[in-house]
Amino acid sequence: MTDGHPWRVHDLEITDVRCWNHLSIEIPNGLVVLCGPNGAGKTSIIEALVIATLGVSPRTSQLGELIRASASVMRVTGTFSESRAHDMTQHREIGYASGVGRRLSIDGAPVRQLAQWRRPSSVLVFMPEELRAVKGPPAARRRGLDRLLEAMVPGFSEHLSGYQEATTQRNALLRRARSTGIDPASAFAWETRMATHGAVVVQSRRDAITELRPRFAFWLEALGGGSGGVLELESSPSNLCAVDNDALVASFVEQFARLRPRDLAAGLTTTGPHRDDIWIGIGDRDLRRLGSQGEQRTAALALLLAHRDLLRAAGSGPILLLDDVLSELDPGRRQALLAALTGDEQVILSSADPDVSFADLPAETTIFQVRDGVCHV
Amino acid sequence: MLTPSLERLIAELSRLPGVGPRSAQRLAFHLLKAPNERTLALAGALTQMSERLRPCSRCFSFAEDELCPICQDQRRDRTLLCVVEEPSSILPIERTHEYRGYYHVLGGALSPIDGIDPGDLRIDELVRRVDAEGVTELIVATNPTMTGEATALYLSDLLRGKVQLTRLASGLPVGADLEYADELTLGRALLGRRVLE
Ligand SMILES: [Zn+2]
Repeated sequence: MTDGHPWRVHDLEITDVRCWNHLSIEIPNGLVVLCGPNGAGKTSIIEALVIATLGVSPRTSQLGELIRASASVMRVTGTFSESRAHDMTQHREIGYASGVGRRLSIDGAPVRQLAQWRRPSSVLVFMPEELRAVKGPPAARRRGLDRLLEAMVPGFSEHLSGYQEATTQRNALLRRARSTGIDPASAFAWETRMATHGAVVVQSRRDAITELRPRFAFWLEALGGGSGGVLELESSPSNLCAVDNDALVASFVEQFARLRPRDLAAGLTTTGPHRDDIWIGIGDRDLRRLGSQGEQRTAALALLLAHRDLLRAAGSGPILLLDDVLSELDPGRRQALLAALTGDEQVILSSADPDVSFADLPAETTIFQVRDGVCHV
Repeated sequence: MLTPSLERLIAELSRLPGVGPRSAQRLAFHLLKAPNERTLALAGALTQMSERLRPCSRCFSFAEDELCPICQDQRRDRTLLCVVEEPSSILPIERTHEYRGYYHVLGGALSPIDGIDPGDLRIDELVRRVDAEGVTELIVATNPTMTGEATALYLSDLLRGKVQLTRLASGLPVGADLEYADELTLGRALLGRRVLE
């Protein structure tokens, strides 16, 4: 686990995605800067890289929205490798056609399940227009954390889906009990399954937050966001007993049973890990709701770097995709960010600044000019 | 080119699990070429099965008489009862030769999203048998799936104090039905069964 398995993208081909008719680029290692005016398609290149690894866009939940105006099918393909040492490369492809849906393949072989295709630890993305990891709904913050855990904790995704399945069963039982008057006593069987899986989910989330917290505070301060950065898991229900796994399971079982009358009236499970949130703040100030746009940007970036540190420590090196990240940082903070990126990872960042302070960038930086429908070195 | 009777045969065959329209056609043409007595034997077996088979009045597995062959066998151990979801789980357990008690078929597992509640399973009948037949150990051999585990939990709560409840040891492929487990693994899981708290 200590050997890094850094992810690399070697080439990317985009067909009919947003403003791009067709684009094919080879992407070198190290720091890559996409430079060009607003609207030239820099963000769409970053978006395409996210789609090629996670299968979803950070900007929309509807892949259909990505299809170029006069086209009906879009396609993104790319060659990625997982480890420099073993040179494990894979050719990944995702296509989407309106009315037909999504198609996935790896090395030419179709993959039906997104879960078998996506690589949750292979990219981390920052987009200033999409600060969902900080100011979005709780689900967005949970998803970011769970994606990290999926990559780091063996069995986490099975426990998460087990919890979700048991909760769906309990909800169905409560709804039918509400409408037909059948006895909901068998709910306890589902509650026990929810507790067993939910305890692992919550404990994993707590452990991850404990690991992320000092790193988040460190990066927040380094990027000029101030001292006293705090992350906390806001567990649902909030009064969970926590000494060990058995206590956590027992606490969940007790809470689910106690809240059954209320949940029966609501027709759904009102508390549980599916309602967890992550407090993001400075001191006791809630940055999720009260932070300025600038503070939220910095917090999102600090969170991303904290995730990066954790993945790296666990032996996985994500590709960092940073859209328009330099524009609102003053020179000192730019330096701090660029210094943070001099690890051995691949970093792709975009800038609309025509004379992006080239002096600041490391000598081995590759700069692509993106304008007028082309992208070249 | 297909006649109505051939079309009907293909339609019926393609309802079978794992048989698509193409393999249904292949099977139909294969049957066409087979000697007449073979196809009549197959048809006879199907007719006999649907006419004679009925649920065993005690365990709800398949029977041709009042009781299934296992329930008719007086030499088995009356103190042991093994609960399964479907009759298809009985055969793999029998093949392990590690079990000499009787069975009870629930007819499925709890699954509210599919509308299956305790009242839809043969749970009342199970409680009556535990009370009436002198059972001392109830082996809950529902499938190692989400719905099978929840059903096991429900039964253990319902029958706690009446009978010793045990569950097959872990090691069975999680998420799959018992009928897909190999004999060796299933035999080990039976021998290593643990008491349900
Ligand atoms: Zn029987």
